[in-house]
Amino acid sequence: MQLDHGTHGAHPTAAVYIRIAVILTIITLGEFGVFYLTGLSSAVMTGIILALSSVKFAVVAGYYMHLKFDNWRFAALFVVPFFIMLLILIVLLALFSSLTR
Amino acid sequence: MGTGEPKRMQYIAQGPEADHRTSTGLNNRKLLMWAFLGSDAMFFGPLITTHLINRTATQTGPTEDIFNIPLTTISTFVLLISSLAMVLALAGIQRGQMGQFRFWTAATALLGMVFIGFQMTEFAQFAAEGLTPRSSLFGSSFLILTGLHGAHVTVGIIWLWSIFFTSYTGKIKQANSLDVEIAGLYWHFVDIVWIVIFGVVYLIGAFGVEDRLLEHAGAAVRLVG
Repeated sequence: MQLDHGTHGAHPTAAVYIRIAVILTIITLGEFGVFYLTGLSSAVMTGIILALSSVKFAVVAGYYMHLKFDNWRFAALFVVPFFIMLLILIVLLALFSSLTR
Repeated sequence: MGTGEPKRMQYIAQGPEADHRTSTGLNNRKLLMWAFLGSDAMFFGPLITTHLINRTATQTGPTEDIFNIPLTTISTFVLLISSLAMVLALAGIQRGQMGQFRFWTAATALLGMVFIGFQMTEFAQFAAEGLTPRSSLFGSSFLILTGLHGAHVTVGIIWLWSIFFTSYTGKIKQANSLDVEIAGLYWHFVDIVWIVIFGVVYLIGAFGVEDRLLEHAGAAVRLVG
């Protein structure tokens, strides 16, 4: 009998996991470097940090948590609440900003 | 699967769970863990939001200038590497290599303990400089957010050590590698929550640009209104 935990494709090899860790380390160093760059406008800096963090988030969720290879229903269970959380975050920030003016 | 059975009814595992069927064809325990992680993401969202709202409410206490970005970058690196150790532990048990599984599980737990050590050092420094949960709204929202993340990491460490020691009793083996996979999902989740906290709270926060985000968000509300 086949072991099936809802996995569609084969999980990556150890070599792939190590390459991903190297990429994550480089991105983290990139974030650290961007923080100390002078002459960068706050909007650009925010954009870069958010983009780099999003890439790290997606890579860990996709490869280390195997969402890229697992059944789409696992991803849905996580991604849908995550976007609800993002919506709550944006609405609350907007609401409090509006109230405190 | 027997003839005439609905197609969606599938066997989902072997070993102790061999006769366990689900209507989705997916493992219920793994499904439950993903549902929990989704709900936990919604738990951290408002905590991060609360901190963003209160980050300038420092009263007479310390501000975000006290963040030690180099130290936090190192602790972030430690947590990222612990995620690598976790997937290697899972790969080990899925191949039936118990030695490799035990080594990487212990490495994951130890790296988690190093991360907690960094966090305790940071908290001690902050307390010495006057940043406590009672010093300001900034202090309470920041320490509650990062403290609860630290509590999640601590639960993960206990979970990993329990798996490590249970493996010597023979209850954790290749056939039930799902136990390790589920623990791994939890561990990677605390990693991705920290990725968000490090970027949004530490880096962007210390750079002082959330005010602009708030301005833009407020402007959007006024436009809609």
